[in-house]
Amino acid sequence: MNIIALVKQTPDTAQLSASMDGLKLSAEGGPRIVNPWDEYTLETAIQAREEHGGKVTALCLGPPEAAEALKTALAMGVDEAVLVSDPAMADGDSLTSARILVAAIRKIGAFDLIVGGRAAIDGNTAATAVQVAALLGVPLVSYVAELRNLDPSDRTLSAVRLLEKARETVTSRLPALITVVKEINEPRYPSLIGIRKAARANIPIWGCKDLSLDAAAVGAGASGVEWRTELPPVREAHIEMIDGGPEDAARTLVDRLMEEKVI
Amino acid sequence: MLSPYEKILFALLAAVSLYLASVTFRRMIGTIKRGQGRLAWDGLPGRLWTGVKALAGQNIMIRNRPLVSLAHTGIAWGFILYMAVNLVDVLEGLVTGFVFLEEGAAGQVYRLLVDLMTLAALAGMVALLIRRFIVKSTDLAVAPNVKLHPRAAGGIRRDSLIVGFFILGHVGFRLVGASFDIALHGPDPWQPVAALAAGLWSGLEPSVLTFGLHASWWIAIGLVLAFLPWFPFSKHAHLFMGPFNLMTAPGRTSPGALDALDFEDETIEQFGAGRITDLDRTHITDAFACIMCNRCQDACPAYATGKELSPAALEVNKRYHLRDHMNSLAAGGEDTEPLLGYTMSESALWACTACGACTEACPVGNEPLFDILAMRRNQVLMESAFPNELKGAFTGIERNGNPWQMAGDRMEWTESLDFKVPTVAEKPDYDVLFWVGCAGAFDPGARDTARAIATVLHRAGVDFAVLGNDESCTGDLARRAGNEYLFSIAAEGNIETLNAAGADQVGRKRIVTGCPHCLHTLGNEYGALGGRFEVLHHTQLIDELAKAGRLAMPGRDETRTTYHDPCYLGRHGGEYEAPRQALAAARPSLVEMARSRNRSFCCGAGGAQVWKEEEEGREAVSDNRFREARETGADTLAVGCPFCARMMNDANKRAGEPMRVRDIAEIVAESIRDDRE
Ligand code: SF4
Ligand code: SF4
Repeated sequence: MNIIALVKQTPDTAQLSASMDGLKLSAEGGPRIVNPWDEYTLETAIQAREEHGGKVTALCLGPPEAAEALKTALAMGVDEAVLVSDPAMADGDSLTSARILVAAIRKIGAFDLIVGGRAAIDGNTAATAVQVAALLGVPLVSYVAELRNLDPSDRTLSAVRLLEKARETVTSRLPALITVVKEINEPRYPSLIGIRKAARANIPIWGCKDLSLDAAAVGAGASGVEWRTELPPVREAHIEMIDGGPEDAARTLVDRLMEEKVI
Repeated sequence: MLSPYEKILFALLAAVSLYLASVTFRRMIGTIKRGQGRLAWDGLPGRLWTGVKALAGQNIMIRNRPLVSLAHTGIAWGFILYMAVNLVDVLEGLVTGFVFLEEGAAGQVYRLLVDLMTLAALAGMVALLIRRFIVKSTDLAVAPNVKLHPRAAGGIRRDSLIVGFFILGHVGFRLVGASFDIALHGPDPWQPVAALAAGLWSGLEPSVLTFGLHASWWIAIGLVLAFLPWFPFSKHAHLFMGPFNLMTAPGRTSPGALDALDFEDETIEQFGAGRITDLDRTHITDAFACIMCNRCQDACPAYATGKELSPAALEVNKRYHLRDHMNSLAAGGEDTEPLLGYTMSESALWACTACGACTEACPVGNEPLFDILAMRRNQVLMESAFPNELKGAFTGIERNGNPWQMAGDRMEWTESLDFKVPTVAEKPDYDVLFWVGCAGAFDPGARDTARAIATVLHRAGVDFAVLGNDESCTGDLARRAGNEYLFSIAAEGNIETLNAAGADQVGRKRIVTGCPHCLHTLGNEYGALGGRFEVLHHTQLIDELAKAGRLAMPGRDETRTTYHDPCYLGRHGGEYEAPRQALAAARPSLVEMARSRNRSFCCGAGGAQVWKEEEEGREAVSDNRFREARETGADTLAVGCPFCARMMNDANKRAGEPMRVRDIAEIVAESIRDDRE
């Protein structure tokens, strides 16, 4: 089975700081991590390979530092990793990203399954994978919480999707693209042997030229969307002490909570 | 004494026995050599002395089970003496007319000594056999939920029985022989026991007596010849492997200080212990030295609370596995059976609190804790198979520099103080660097302790500073959980920070910390990675300040208080006095728990337990310990570790808050405040 795992490197949103330049990836301004949702992506892809054999290629679009995210993917156990990086690609919207990824997927070659995370925690559009599926013309099964039946010989899969208030079992033909949610598995912690293998690995970097893309058709210039983010989000909080005996205090507390429409 | 034919027979049997023994002993040594590293032999005279002391002193045992140990001491001393006696007897048998020391005073003392020690050995042996086979002491049983080699339970009994009868037979027939000798050659007041026995033979013909004398000699000496080659297979090997193990003990900075792994060398492909041959040689020796006495099991908090772990079963299982594979291992064969499996279950592996009670209790210097941590290393570094909850703590150390995954400010805890806590950057000429620790920085309870420590230092006029946001997790939990790689990264970072802060100027600057785990890693483990610091526990500094009269304390608070020794301050740090003295400065009425000082019972947090769910068992380790604290009748439970505080606080809450749990620093700080008001 040929599996492609879409991986993004994101800031650690647990540690946003005002020194970051928006949510853009840069060497400064806080630690960069594998998009937490993509840890589930990688685990799904690796488990599928462990069960059915074949190969997992991790594909990442980002600045050169994003190779670190691919190192983590290799350490976890993917077979190959490809970084797509070109200054011309910077600051694109999800559609231009999808176009680039599709070009890279075509260059990687035939595939049976593409796995992505439900979204990236920085942009949080949950759109890129969807657009990749559309551009490739393959079925999309999103929000997968359980991969019930992946059958490479029958070329089908059946998956349980997690909806807001329901679960839905979907079958699809292969090749297909799925996006996964965190209920699907427990991502593994890279072993030291994996980390060492990853440190030695050579990660190819593909630019516009390698993908025969017109630099003008990607990046900020080609994007239909422009955004600004301010960090960290300003939270207003103030503390109010309620005096009095337990009963009075409780009554006041309930009144205040109702006033604030908390209850 | 012996006839020429007997002498020839003896020579033949002795040659066969010695040959076979050399084969089996070489196998045992060959098996030990399959382990990693080397046995420690530096400073040989000191090591020999250790061995002699261990043989003669029998001390550790007496401490733990007095009566049994008394019986054992009788056997041990009797047996040690018998090594010499056997030589004498063989010589007397072979050399016609030779009588050791003859009739002089020395000979009399010798005979008296042998006579009495014979009685001691026989009495001791009978007592131990009664204990094992008639009383069936539960000390010697292993709980059914603990993994035990299928042949071990029966094997240990059979082994003990054989050893028992060997000793009874050997020593007993030596005595019988002496009694025949007396019956033949007249009374000997210097052998009262043998003389008493000689009364049995009154009236027998000299020829019968002579036959009896020869038969006894042959049984006593023949048993030794028969037993010699079997030694390495029997648990009786502890007789010499025990002292050998103590003699070759690796010099450690603390009983729990682990060896670092080499991550630079690309040719190393195994980290931690997956197979028995991945263990250090000293830990393979442990299995041969083990008496299977279960003293470690008695002391183990995981076992005491019904977990699947028994450090004794671990050693026994290793031993039986080695016994099964000794031939092939000694010949260089590969053993592919995973260590985690036949030695213990996964739940047992993750139940260990790394408290060190097992190593402390073991009379032959075994270190079951090290096997457990070596297997954890294999699980994390090689297999990536470990309790999932630990992943969050690992990720926290990696990304946030603390296991709580907190992104906050490490100085926040100082905000409510009425004085300013300076950072090293603000006060580079500090005397004492206060290492706050992740708990002190982020855990609400531990923040109170950190403030109390800072307050005491401030009031005593100590020039201190903190690292603030440059401080990062020491990596203790990563190391104890088997993630040595993460530990090494954390340690390197901190050593760099501390050196940059000048904390490496030993003699001029000291580090004080409120966390015994930080104390242990910084003080006992960073040294091997190049970080040399003088590190104190806060109670040590408080004790010092109080003694120097720098803390004005009324010391009149008569609240009955008991103190829980933290494993990493006590057993691993060797400090039992300072916390008691520091406490006494504020509260003189200390009531001790039954298990205290080096026999303290873990709170249940160590060994990365606090970062995961406790393994399945009968009860929580913390509840067990808290019950003991309550039974003292004290009102306050004094602690010296943020993790003990947390475990004891939780147990206190579950019990309906009958006690107050306070760090010694808080108790001292409160009492200083009283004085000022
Ligand atoms: S270190 Fe403590 S918990 Fe672990 S095996 Fe030894 S006694 Fe038991
Ligand atoms: S390891 Fe030590 S304490 Fe434990 S059973 Fe063996 S000899 Fe006894």
